[in-house]
Amino acid sequence: MSTVATQNFVPVAELKAAKGRSLWQDAFRRLRHEKVAMISLAIIIAYLVMAALCAAGLLFTNYNVTDHGAAYLPPGAGHWMGTDIFGRDVMARAAHGTITSLIVGFFGAALAVVIGTVMGAISGYFGGVIDELIVWFYTTVDTIPYILLVVAFSFVVGPGLSTLCLAIGLTSWIGHCRIVRSEFMKHRDREYVHGATALGAGHARRIFVHILPNVFHLVLINFSLGFVTAVKSEVILSYLGLGVAAGTPSWGMMISDAKLELAREVWWGLAAATFFMFFLVLAFTLFNDALRDALDPKLKSR
Amino acid sequence: MADKNNIIEVRNLSVEFRTDEGTVRAVKNISFNIPRGKTVGLVGESGSGKSVTSLAAMRLIPNPPGKITSGEILLDGKDLLKLTEGQMRDIRGNQISMIFQEPMTSLNPVFTVGDQIAETLMLHQKLSKTAALAKSLDLMTQVGIPNPSERIKSYPHELSGGQRQRVMIAMAIACEPDVLIADEPTTALDVTIQKQILDLLADLQKKYQMSILFITHDLGVIADIADEVVVMYRGDIVEKGTTEQIFTKPQHPYTKGLLACRPSLDSNPRRLPVVSDFMNAEGQERPLDVTVMKQQKQNRVVSDAQTTLLQIQNVKKHFPLKKGFFGGVQSWVKAVDDVTLNVRKGRTLGLVGESGCGKTTLGRTILRLIEPTAGSIIYNGTDITKLDREAMRAMRRKMQIIFQDPYASLNPRMTVGAALMEPMIIHNLGNGRNERLEMAGELMKRVGLDRAMLNRYPHEFSGGQRQRICIARALAVKPEFIICDESVSALDVSIQAQILNLLLDLQEEMHLTYVFISHDLAVVKFISDEVAVMYNGKVVEMNDAVGIYEAPQHDYTKKLLSAIPKGMPKHLS
Repeated sequence: MSTVATQNFVPVAELKAAKGRSLWQDAFRRLRHEKVAMISLAIIIAYLVMAALCAAGLLFTNYNVTDHGAAYLPPGAGHWMGTDIFGRDVMARAAHGTITSLIVGFFGAALAVVIGTVMGAISGYFGGVIDELIVWFYTTVDTIPYILLVVAFSFVVGPGLSTLCLAIGLTSWIGHCRIVRSEFMKHRDREYVHGATALGAGHARRIFVHILPNVFHLVLINFSLGFVTAVKSEVILSYLGLGVAAGTPSWGMMISDAKLELAREVWWGLAAATFFMFFLVLAFTLFNDALRDALDPKLKSR
Repeated sequence: MADKNNIIEVRNLSVEFRTDEGTVRAVKNISFNIPRGKTVGLVGESGSGKSVTSLAAMRLIPNPPGKITSGEILLDGKDLLKLTEGQMRDIRGNQISMIFQEPMTSLNPVFTVGDQIAETLMLHQKLSKTAALAKSLDLMTQVGIPNPSERIKSYPHELSGGQRQRVMIAMAIACEPDVLIADEPTTALDVTIQKQILDLLADLQKKYQMSILFITHDLGVIADIADEVVVMYRGDIVEKGTTEQIFTKPQHPYTKGLLACRPSLDSNPRRLPVVSDFMNAEGQERPLDVTVMKQQKQNRVVSDAQTTLLQIQNVKKHFPLKKGFFGGVQSWVKAVDDVTLNVRKGRTLGLVGESGCGKTTLGRTILRLIEPTAGSIIYNGTDITKLDREAMRAMRRKMQIIFQDPYASLNPRMTVGAALMEPMIIHNLGNGRNERLEMAGELMKRVGLDRAMLNRYPHEFSGGQRQRICIARALAVKPEFIICDESVSALDVSIQAQILNLLLDLQEEMHLTYVFISHDLAVVKFISDEVAVMYNGKVVEMNDAVGIYEAPQHDYTKKLLSAIPKGMPKHLS
């Protein structure tokens, strides 16, 4: 057939492997070559493992054991990071605080990303009145100070871990929504989407099969960024007394307790909470940078 | 020792790029000269190393991943590759300057064009801002920008593509450089604008006694302006000589192929010759199959007696331009203004016109990718403008489109296999994944690709291959009617010929009807039975393909015809 004759300058032999490599695989291969990213990821995984072991009752089982005789012991052999007012081991409490942080970080960020992605996708894809309504809605929500919303929310639903996740999720989706919206507006008029339309693809197919995979890297990055923000928000809200229920180990609670203790030169509670938070937030932030570099198509050649 | 007559001598230049797959030798030990005051054309397809060569001369090869591994580039006898970065900065824009393919992205959108031209002057000639602006005005007059005293305060987006390229040229010649490197300066422009830019470059060269290195994938473009031609193929120079030698007695089969593959206005072949007709995959000459080459296009009957597949009746598409404060529309852009056309079954209607004439909008309106403002589109007796969503979706099976940019029209996150199977899933063709995979494999074979490539992603293919994939995707639903919207404009001429031949073969095999949209009348003439010329949203002339060339009626058609490069130096043809 004549079409075969024209094939000579489409050198089939040059294309080696029959298995293609997606942009995702490309990105993760780049990520694997980043030392800092891999060290950060290892630290994040270490936190996860520690939280899992704590939750399963295999590690730091003494976090709730009170011993009034041993209150406010400075860091030493028996208690590496000292004890608190009730004689509880500070290191064990800080380690258990990781569970709270990770739960809030994950669910808070996940909720925000899901809401933001759906709203942004609908708004950017359809445009027109729908877009105007959604933009009106989120700019209105955005004008209310976020702490105020969370406070109001906690008062209505009552404090607790799930309230915290909900409150953080429901208040932090707006930035993500804006980004997804603008990406959808950009992609909606790309030729590959027109191509899909010409093939008879409906709205749902265009949104979920075609455009979403092309903006999904932003969803990932935003989830990771949101995670850090949620962890920090939990600490702040718990410090303000709006966070987890009293008695639940949390870094925010430890810092909150420390404000009175510091006057009595009991610094180790604050130090332990800060120390645990520092490495988690640092690891996540560095990982985010690397993730963004790896997933950004514009930086591909590096 | 350097020859005094040569402004630039490139000697044994090699450039390598380090990639994940290993080292790629982009330029392999090439040598050529640019004589003083002459124009050298550097010709080759994408990936031949021609742009890399010019970037090496400007020392603009990004390092890493690129590296100049050997050779020297002598400017007036002094080796540019040995200069410090500071000395090099004095040369760039001053002694050697460059213009690029895409005039929109090479200008800074936040500065006025006047400021941008003045910047070069202030940098190299230490002029004051006022003096520099005065000179900019003079330069803008020289490059033929209308109303230069007003335009000097314009931002790049306010100018047309051709005007932007003129601004780029003004910037490049501001310091009266010895050498001007023009990297595909007309590829992104319409043929009519291309001709103007080529004329301008030729004029300026005479005036300033510059040397020009003109890089292009299309030999036809440089026929009139180059004194010497260097042909590159896969990093090697395969042939160099005077323009006359190259055009009249080409030696290398690749050069012969390049010369032959451009559709010309005064011949009427059935298929276009392609490079692979002249040369096998190893770069050796192969005997020409003369019988195939000599076959003439048989002018197929197009008459009213024939079945009309598609009737476009008084179609209008107006875009609101300005909205008043209370949302009232104050003016309209008439992109398509009352167009009536008939497309006959099994034939090709060519739609030709410059950018902005409404041809693309018309194409998309026919498929209802854009809703028409008024008029009816009758396909096989059904007015599709009146169909509801479901019925329109079913109709899309019969009507397909192939876009201009094969890079943008494939979803980068989908494998080729998934892209080809998607239309089958939408329209419920084939039973299950295995049968669809089988059908996708067949489609790949049909467009001349290997079915083993189904698992690959679009970014792993070349432009020509991607366009083949787009064609395969359009064919997946077994359509009757395909709109080709500038489908070959983004491709090298050598690839363009292959795709045009493929489209012709497919039409014959599958009895397809095409509407072929292009700005290049030569391409349209080759593939079409009938041609409609569009200008300012209206069809100004309509005739069969031969008629429009032999007896053009409208002034605009005549202008389009005269803008097509003849593919032969003037004094030889």
